[in-house]
Amino acid sequence: MSINRQAYNAIQAVVGERYISEDPAVMTGYRSGPAGYENGTGYERVMTVLPHAVCLPKNTEEILKVVKICNRFDVPYVPYSTGFYGPRTHCHVENELIIDMKRHNEFDIDVKHFYYNVGTGVTLASCQQEAFNAGAYAVIGGGGAQCSAICNLIGDGWSPLSHRIGLPHRRILGTELVLPDGDYVEMGSLAVSDDPFWGEGPGPDLRGLLRGFTGLRGCLGIVTKMAIKTLPFQPETLVPTGIAPNTALALPDKRIKWNNYLVPNKAAQVKAMFEIGHAEIAAACTKVPKFWRAIAKAEDKEEFWKLWLVENEESIRDFFIVRVLLIGYTSEDDMIYQEKVLNDIMAEVGGTQTRTKPSDESWLKNADSAGMWLMCGSYVSVDYIIESMTQAVQHGSTYAELKKKYTPPLMPDFGDPGWFQNFELGHQGYSEFLIYWDHREDVNGVDQFYVDTSKMNIKHRYYTSLLGPHQPLFLTGPMYGPNYHTWLLKVKEEFDPKWVSHPPVPLAHDDFVNRAPWMQEIKDWEVPNPLPMRQW
Amino acid sequence: MSVVDQKLGDRYDTPKTPVAFDISNLKNFVYDMQHCIKCKGCYWVEHSYNPGVKFNVRCSSNFYNDFDAYGAMGKMRIGLGVEEGKLKWTDKLLEILYACTLCGACDVGCKRNLDLEIELSLEALRVQAVKDGAAPLPAHKKIYENIVKKNNIFGATENRAKWVTADVKVAAKADVLYFAGCSASYVNQDIAQATAKIFKATGTPFMMLKDEKCCGNVPFSAGMFDDAKKIAQANVAAVKATGAKTLVTSCAECYRMWKVDYPKMLDIATSDLGFEVLHLIEFADKALADGKLKLTKPVDMRFTYHDACSVGRLCDAWVPYKGERGWMGMIYPGLRRRRGRQGLYKQSRNLLNAIPGATFAELVRVRENAFCCGGGRGAKQAFPDYAKVTGNHRFEEIQSIGAEAIISACPWCKSQFSEIAKENGDNVKAMDIAELIAASVEI
Repeated sequence: MSINRQAYNAIQAVVGERYISEDPAVMTGYRSGPAGYENGTGYERVMTVLPHAVCLPKNTEEILKVVKICNRFDVPYVPYSTGFYGPRTHCHVENELIIDMKRHNEFDIDVKHFYYNVGTGVTLASCQQEAFNAGAYAVIGGGGAQCSAICNLIGDGWSPLSHRIGLPHRRILGTELVLPDGDYVEMGSLAVSDDPFWGEGPGPDLRGLLRGFTGLRGCLGIVTKMAIKTLPFQPETLVPTGIAPNTALALPDKRIKWNNYLVPNKAAQVKAMFEIGHAEIAAACTKVPKFWRAIAKAEDKEEFWKLWLVENEESIRDFFIVRVLLIGYTSEDDMIYQEKVLNDIMAEVGGTQTRTKPSDESWLKNADSAGMWLMCGSYVSVDYIIESMTQAVQHGSTYAELKKKYTPPLMPDFGDPGWFQNFELGHQGYSEFLIYWDHREDVNGVDQFYVDTSKMNIKHRYYTSLLGPHQPLFLTGPMYGPNYHTWLLKVKEEFDPKWVSHPPVPLAHDDFVNRAPWMQEIKDWEVPNPLPMRQW
Repeated sequence: MSVVDQKLGDRYDTPKTPVAFDISNLKNFVYDMQHCIKCKGCYWVEHSYNPGVKFNVRCSSNFYNDFDAYGAMGKMRIGLGVEEGKLKWTDKLLEILYACTLCGACDVGCKRNLDLEIELSLEALRVQAVKDGAAPLPAHKKIYENIVKKNNIFGATENRAKWVTADVKVAAKADVLYFAGCSASYVNQDIAQATAKIFKATGTPFMMLKDEKCCGNVPFSAGMFDDAKKIAQANVAAVKATGAKTLVTSCAECYRMWKVDYPKMLDIATSDLGFEVLHLIEFADKALADGKLKLTKPVDMRFTYHDACSVGRLCDAWVPYKGERGWMGMIYPGLRRRRGRQGLYKQSRNLLNAIPGATFAELVRVRENAFCCGGGRGAKQAFPDYAKVTGNHRFEEIQSIGAEAIISACPWCKSQFSEIAKENGDNVKAMDIAELIAASVEI
């Protein structure tokens, strides 16, 4: 059985012969694993298959027509663009079509009103450079500068720059959406005019359906175009320097500067971050895991481990860094003012300034999480929460404890509590937990750790951002709702009654747990049998 | 299951597996192919250098065809499929593999983050294609026949040293040996003559091989490992027999063969060749610094420069490696990986900035991020459409700079840009850096 021949021909008529293929070699190019974000896990091995066909539509009109054909001929499809985000954006069922939208690369910027309109195939790095050229900037999501801007914003979209710029959904203005059944919707102010200036439009704000915090991974249709808010930046040029892997943006030190402070304890770290937010200074305020510093210093894998294995539980436990990016947005005097305020705060909490380079390697333009594969070969951010600042730091510590149980196969990190940072000037605290392993090993523990993470969050009442299709819905939904799962499934049924849009999301992780024998020992929640979804 | 025993020096118990960079065996690169994370660092211009929404791609193959299979991330997955016997050789698979100049953009892009040997994996995959009888492609077979019968890739029958006009003095014996290569000998003779002029201006006597033969870059790139190795052995022996201390070439492709691919095939280090290998850029840059080369004659021209792949990201010296891989994929003994940092970026710009009277404007994608011209390594002969798309795209970038001339350090780039300019009805002049330097020399 394969994709209906009439459907294939109809899609070919839309995109053109050059832009559709079912050749086995071409399909192999769309294999999810064996390495990459979340790849090498059981989820990837159990839940992903090669597509039957891939098409490359050029614009919204073509995407819309392809989706209508899929509905007409009952062809399941997966939206896909820059292709970085691991198995959850690859095919989960047989005879599926990948709608690869990298050719939809329209971009125009409204310099006066500080936003840009972007198609699905444009990366964050490109958008940021265009914004820089226009005296503006936006967030480069932590997922990486190589990600599609749209894809990133309907998913995570945050980074240390969210300290000032804010959470991603607040930056989404007009949005163009092809619903799962091929209907076309414009949201935000696009719903009433051609001016995508306001995120909110008349009636219910459908952007909420797109995202949760981490999006629905294509199970509710395809965002084909988006207007993204930018903010005014400082005027100096950031000059790229160096040859890979030692590339960076040279910073004009009177306008942009990273500042590193070591503080005596966790309480001082939280207080410093809170006060920085309260004073409304800084562009970013973050605590990085110590192993990131080793990644940044290391030339290669071997050097990383040489640097990292001198650490121990004590050295990690006593490491409290606050990294602060200052930007003199309006003037050099602005920068001087912020530095003075920062110094006062750090004096109050007992912070000691340490050396930093006058360059940016990671956040202004070239966020590149790909470096995280250097040391082990496999990686995933298994959880991130957006909470109060005090709750966020507790999350990191609890998590470090849980992780010990699964090390190995997870890499030894000596109890590092992960990322911790300010969002929205301290109104939100953010904790992110990253795990690393070698996928050549027995990695069943990684899959179990994923689910144990959900249980830990439920037990400690942490508000995870990965509530949607990243964890078993029937485990998390009753605990976070109490009817979050039924609500989500009703939305799915309403908008995608045929379940053609990236099945079996949002029940994919439930399906995985059912299908993976090594997950049965930790499956202690109630699940309907069969799962309430169409069977493929 | 691996454990970390910090009391013992040897911390790891993951079984060790052998590591070798011998491209004649695809199995040597299974780890590399298994560890591509699809970040597409192989595809995009490095993020710090990303120029915006235009000219932001570095992979010519995936620019030519948008399916992921054409990028290195797809080819790594295809390579695994071939190695595991899950994919059969088809015309489409061969097109994916060979509509690519092996320009190395993917390799250095990957090594920004990871330690994977992408270029070597691609080379090994082509060797496998030949072993399996799926390759060489007809165009490559023809070129190889030309080399065997006529010693040049064109099948030309005239005297290879025809470019040596009366004003060119070739010494019978000298420390420096000039290797002109097929293109400068038959098609771009201006380059060879300009090179001779530079030797003369610096007071450097040079000799040549009595019977210079093709460097073999097309058969090597096509995966014809055994045939290319024979060419390498013969050429290296011929140069050694002359007693030359330094081989200088003005061809980027020849340079990469002599400096990197010959040692790779012969399983020796570049430093063990028995003679030094220099591109003209290196030779002239040193001469300029030493005061032996004086660039005094003004050249009234606004030009730009194309970093040819083989004098850029691909020319790090070769060092053979054999070791073991263990816990977390670490290799023992340690290795300073080839990341393209020995590219002749600085040397070329030293020269270009020293040309009096001229205005040098950089392209958008430069140095390790340069977009290939599409003219090299046999890809053009096998897939002319790919070469045309690639060349046109780079030419569009050249036009965006408003340059009167495009300078490169490779005769294949010169030919490609000349052709593209002509097809576009544009009068942008394609020149080699040797010609530009020679134009600024007063003899």
